[in-house]
Amino acid sequence: MGLGLTLMGIGMVTVFAILLIVINLSKLLINIVNKVAPEEEASKKVAPAPSKPIIDSTVMAIIQAAVSEMTGGKGTVANVEKL
Amino acid sequence: MDILTKLYEMTAFAQTGGDWAFLIMILLAFVLLYLGIVKKYEPLLLIPIGFGVLLANFPGGGMGVAQATSEGLVQLPDGSWENIWDMPLHKIAHELGLMNFIYYMCIKTGFIPPIIFMGVGALTDFGPMLRNLRLSIFGAGAQFGIFAVLLASLAMGFTPQEAASLGIIGGADGPTAIFTTIKLAPHLLGPIAIAAYSYMALVPVIIPLVVKALCSKKELMINMKQQDKLYPNKTEIKNMRILKILFPISVTTIVALLVPTAVSLVGMLMFGNLLKELGAMTSRLFDTATNAIMNTATIFLGLSVGATMTAQAFLNLTTIGIVVGGFLAFALSIAAGIFMVKIFNLFVKKKVNPLVGATGLSAVPMASRVANDIATKYDPKNHVLNYCMASNISGVIGSAVAAGVLISFLQ
Repeated sequence: MGLGLTLMGIGMVTVFAILLIVINLSKLLINIVNKVAPEEEASKKVAPAPSKPIIDSTVMAIIQAAVSEMTGGKGTVANVEKL
Repeated sequence: MDILTKLYEMTAFAQTGGDWAFLIMILLAFVLLYLGIVKKYEPLLLIPIGFGVLLANFPGGGMGVAQATSEGLVQLPDGSWENIWDMPLHKIAHELGLMNFIYYMCIKTGFIPPIIFMGVGALTDFGPMLRNLRLSIFGAGAQFGIFAVLLASLAMGFTPQEAASLGIIGGADGPTAIFTTIKLAPHLLGPIAIAAYSYMALVPVIIPLVVKALCSKKELMINMKQQDKLYPNKTEIKNMRILKILFPISVTTIVALLVPTAVSLVGMLMFGNLLKELGAMTSRLFDTATNAIMNTATIFLGLSVGATMTAQAFLNLTTIGIVVGGFLAFALSIAAGIFMVKIFNLFVKKKVNPLVGATGLSAVPMASRVANDIATKYDPKNHVLNYCMASNISGVIGSAVAAGVLISFLQ
């Protein structure tokens, strides 16, 4: 039983310690990356403008709202095509 | 008549030696196949495992894995004993058959679980964890079940190595459970693998059960997005692509320095992830890691784990202890994660939904999906998936570290 308690103590402390280190290491990496390479490389693709709208504007608004909800406002809808 | 006698002697019936326990195992194989094929519970694993059980239990078939004693001795078909580690692979294949060759070459050496971890890493996106670093710590709380069940198993009379292998089921990570068991208690590999994967398949049942027992409606309605708006994150990530490339390299380095026994799991997880994040540069390796290699490894793992479950190895009280203990480990891990969030909420303004704690055990991404379903039942706009993924992914690292600690202390 003593061994079990020792393992529990050491195990939980190690798991917490490692995850805390990983979290702080990640924070450090974020700070370094923000300073050294603050911008995403330009990968903006120019979407070809459709000659006429394929998707109804209401449906488009619903899709945009759904994408925004799922991605926490970070995602945008570039193009919607009918297959 | 002589021909008929010889024909009868050729069948499995003549080789039972009056022991019909194999029929129970064949029945169990049918149940596992039913669960995999009809109920679709983890079919990619339960079907190979179920078929492995089936193959292993036909008397005279020679497809069951011969368990080595603690000295490494195995009994050969002629009745003699030989040390398995002194036998060349071609002799294992010749004397003990195909399954033993796969088992002792791929599984017992600890080769396959890290290979599967590489595939898991290649399929994992660490983005949600990096965006919600604060929540990642709950992946540690949910490892409590591992150690609580270890303690209980020791009290029940299991050896420390067996107790650790049983407890690791609470990490809810199949490859980690198998890796730990191979190292510490290989004779329990079959039932532990079955318990681990069965409970992972039952995540959609177990998590709601524990959450409903421990959380109030008010707690489950905590809206993480609203909390983010009220108390915005201070750190902004300006270049996620570069960060995601640096992350696996840095984490591997740190974990390898601090817990070297966990590095075969964490290192391979992070290597797979690096292949993913490098994009087009390593897309061919990524494709191989996630498809060809992972699928091959899964087939060998499933079949040979199933083949360890012969009637002699499986039909005993220890197996029942593992099934019960495994469930306890799983439920306690979920409960510990929830309680950690509850305690955390007592001291902070920015409240956390307890579902984030419940997903601290691995089982990525099923646990997060289940948690999201629970949250949206109470409030259809409360999507917690990305937040749960943070603790869910860190739980994979947490359970691998816990396994590393157990292996380094008990091996």
